Amino acid sequence: MVLLSLIFIITLLLVFLRYVLNQSITGANEIVTILFIYTTSIGAALSIGKNEHIGIDVFVSMLPNSFHKPIRVLQIIFITLLHTILFLYCLEWINKAGGYLMPATGLPRIVAIFSIPLGCVLCFLYCIKILIDVLDKPSSEIE
Amino acid sequence: MVILLVSLFLFLAIGVPIAYSLGLSTALYFLIFNNELLQVVPQILFAGMDSYTLIALPLFILMGQLMNESQITSRLIDYCLIFVGKIRGGLGLVNVISSMLFGGISGSSVSDTASIGSILIPEMKKRGYPEDYAAGLTVASSTMGMIIPPSIPMVLYAVTAQESVGRLFLGGVIPGILVGALQLLITIWLSNKNSYPREDREISLKIILKMTARNSYILFMPFFVVGSVILGIATATESAALGVFYALMIGVFLIKSLEKKRIYRALRSSVLTSAKIMIIIAFSKIFIWVLAYERIPDGLSEMISGFGLNPTGMLFLFIIIILIAGTFIDVSPAILLFTPVFLPSIIEMGISPILFGVVLVIGLAVGACTPPVGNCLNVCSIITGLSIGKIFKGAVPFLVANIITLFLIVIFPNIVVWLPKIIMD
Repeated sequence: MVLLSLIFIITLLLVFLRYVLNQSITGANEIVTILFIYTTSIGAALSIGKNEHIGIDVFVSMLPNSFHKPIRVLQIIFITLLHTILFLYCLEWINKAGGYLMPATGLPRIVAIFSIPLGCVLCFLYCIKILIDVLDKPSSEIE
Repeated sequence: MVILLVSLFLFLAIGVPIAYSLGLSTALYFLIFNNELLQVVPQILFAGMDSYTLIALPLFILMGQLMNESQITSRLIDYCLIFVGKIRGGLGLVNVISSMLFGGISGSSVSDTASIGSILIPEMKKRGYPEDYAAGLTVASSTMGMIIPPSIPMVLYAVTAQESVGRLFLGGVIPGILVGALQLLITIWLSNKNSYPREDREISLKIILKMTARNSYILFMPFFVVGSVILGIATATESAALGVFYALMIGVFLIKSLEKKRIYRALRSSVLTSAKIMIIIAFSKIFIWVLAYERIPDGLSEMISGFGLNPTGMLFLFIIIILIAGTFIDVSPAILLFTPVFLPSIIEMGISPILFGVVLVIGLAVGACTPPVGNCLNVCSIITGLSIGKIFKGAVPFLVANIITLFLIVIFPNIVVWLPKIIMD
């Protein structure tokens, strides 16, 4: 929420500076974009924690209740697996390109790229938490 | 290719979120066919989020949420009542007109369904309207939230197709009004047929002017937001930020209902909603990359050319595809998947990308009101407690308006392209 507030404030400030003071902030658009990427990475992880991602549950809901728990476990394992792959390959990418400088701000690219492994770690932690919760619950209580 | 599509279907079928199903199926594809390409996955994912124009998305969502939290809905409904006077089925008409106005403020059909539905459906039920009729009308009229600018799906299409947001906004104006007008006619016809109640409201020019002046700052909002993009005063992202600022000013200083708690709730909800859409955008980029790598859009383009269809026939075929697919896929992922696959063929046939975008959004808006995957239906079902099937049955007569509009657009493309042409060319 802080990140989104910052995006709003900086974008508004840019309009104000351009029309009222006839000025601009170098690299402001790049900073806003970085903030936006972090908002997405962290927000996506939070959505996993809240089980709010957009999905198709028509087929699963047709199955008997006893199937819901194993399917939920399978979903979480797949999501964890994807984030593990992403995390590992992202580290490789950071090693190769993290030191390059961004054109407008001059910041190293790792500042922006780091949002992906950070999001992956958060997703990973949320997945473990959900997995524990799911395994604790009887199948009839699984959404 | 078969592995990519079959695995995608399987992941979706077991309920893995759409974003991660796209990621998993492409990861599996790379693992099987070209392990080394896995290293491009984080890069494409990052590139999918690295867009200044896309920042408009969370800001437009925030603007709509703030207006929602400001409780403007009851004011809009009150305002709309002055136009229906003693016409039979007045509350039904209010429902449609409110959606037209609210659509221009929120840019989202789901928030339109939630805010208008939670007030009008109980009221209509109390006045003797069948509940499934009230719910169906609310859901169907909320589709205008996606069509009338500012529209979040239009921003998404504009970014994916690299088109002008302003042109798309303008392209949606006449079709949006047309959908509303047709839904009004259907409402009047059904109300007379079923003898629905009349509202006992006096109409006079004095009352209309007084109420319009009282709500002018709310009614001005869509013109302010859309106008700033069209006139080139601000980019889509900046206009969204200006929209947020405007919504804050209205909520805090004019209506005085936007407390800290409500702003916090709007921010929180906007972050989660935009992240859910953005992560699909990011992962769909990887999926689309594989489709391009496999030359699927080219193959599809050749296949379509083989049909020997003219542009009108092509658009009709496309409408049938999106109406069917829209029942299974949500609006945002459908835009992200269909645009890169179909757009090359569309452009090759000389069809305007703006026309294609508006057809896509209107078609998918119908999908948002059809089971099994219909977000507006789900929200309405939560509000009313009615089954999705019952609400859908109530919505069908009104969704005919959307289908008629789609066909009219294909036959008379100027309904979409005329306004962008005269204002922006």
